[in-house]
Amino acid sequence: MNECERIEQSLGRWLDGELSAAESEVVRAHVSGCARCGAAQKTFEKLERVIGNVLVAAAPRIEFASFWRDLERRMHDRPPWHKELGERVHAWFAAPRTAWVIPALIVVVLAVFSYDSYFPFWRSRSNLATVESIDAYGRSVAILREDESKTTVIWLYQNQEGDDEAAEETPQPGPAF
Amino acid sequence: MKLLKKLPSRVLLFSWLTLVAAGTLGAAEKQPQTVQVSIGTILASNQSDEFDAKLKGMEGQLKVLKYRSYRLLKNESQSVPWRGEKVFEIPGGRTLTVTPQEFRDNQVSVKVRLTQGQKPALDTTVKIPNKRNFILAGPQHEGGILVLSISASAQ
Repeated sequence: MNECERIEQSLGRWLDGELSAAESEVVRAHVSGCARCGAAQKTFEKLERVIGNVLVAAAPRIEFASFWRDLERRMHDRPPWHKELGERVHAWFAAPRTAWVIPALIVVVLAVFSYDSYFPFWRSRSNLATVESIDAYGRSVAILREDESKTTVIWLYQNQEGDDEAAEETPQPGPAF
Repeated sequence: MKLLKKLPSRVLLFSWLTLVAAGTLGAAEKQPQTVQVSIGTILASNQSDEFDAKLKGMEGQLKVLKYRSYRLLKNESQSVPWRGEKVFEIPGGRTLTVTPQEFRDNQVSVKVRLTQGQKPALDTTVKIPNKRNFILAGPQHEGGILVLSISASAQ
């Protein structure tokens, strides 16, 4: 790419005032001494003038009132709820704060599942023993569970004939609870 | 600034690692090697108003039984391996065989068999919260009844 090609690529931005002072000075110095680039500059300027004239001439015919009304209506109109929800969800998950919410949730879940390790006195019903199976070989049994003292009692009744030592003892009426 | 930009992704990564670690540790709940089984043999009767001072810690539980007198006859503690049997001698020619079954959710599951001489009197499996007890009551003895406090502590 020679110098003229580089300058021609910068011409549009130079004419629009988008180049830095140093760059502008390089382009200006080149254009003033180069017939080819000078012609390109004139072409650009002519094109700008033509487009400008067309726009200025057409502007009065454009219906700006309806444009503004339409814009205003679109600003006030709410999007459908599902679209709005979708946008909110997307924005929420895209936000960096999500990164903090996940560890917070993990901490909460771990706390819920391990609280009784730290606060054993909070355990209530779980502190009671549970009878899973029982066989009293024909004798009657009663199971008592008492919350206040965390007591589970299996009460075994003596059979009618009495066991080995029962005959010589005062018979008990059974559980007193 | 570069570090701050990467912070959310690093926090996310750390979160997932924490979650995985927590899950792994939770799944690998340690199975205790042995269970310390304690049997307290208490004589409950209505013949006096004596309350054995050694039973002070169980007073609330014993009151549920509504007897007037409680006396500790024997207290025995043994370390029992999982699925292993231990036989405890109970006054009146009885025996209590205890077999720890498993440890889950901080509860010890134990199989208990009470025999009177050679005859089985009771077979039961009870899930006891670790380091707590349950009571087996009813066998008659010396004008009262025997109250057996069976506790298990996984170690």
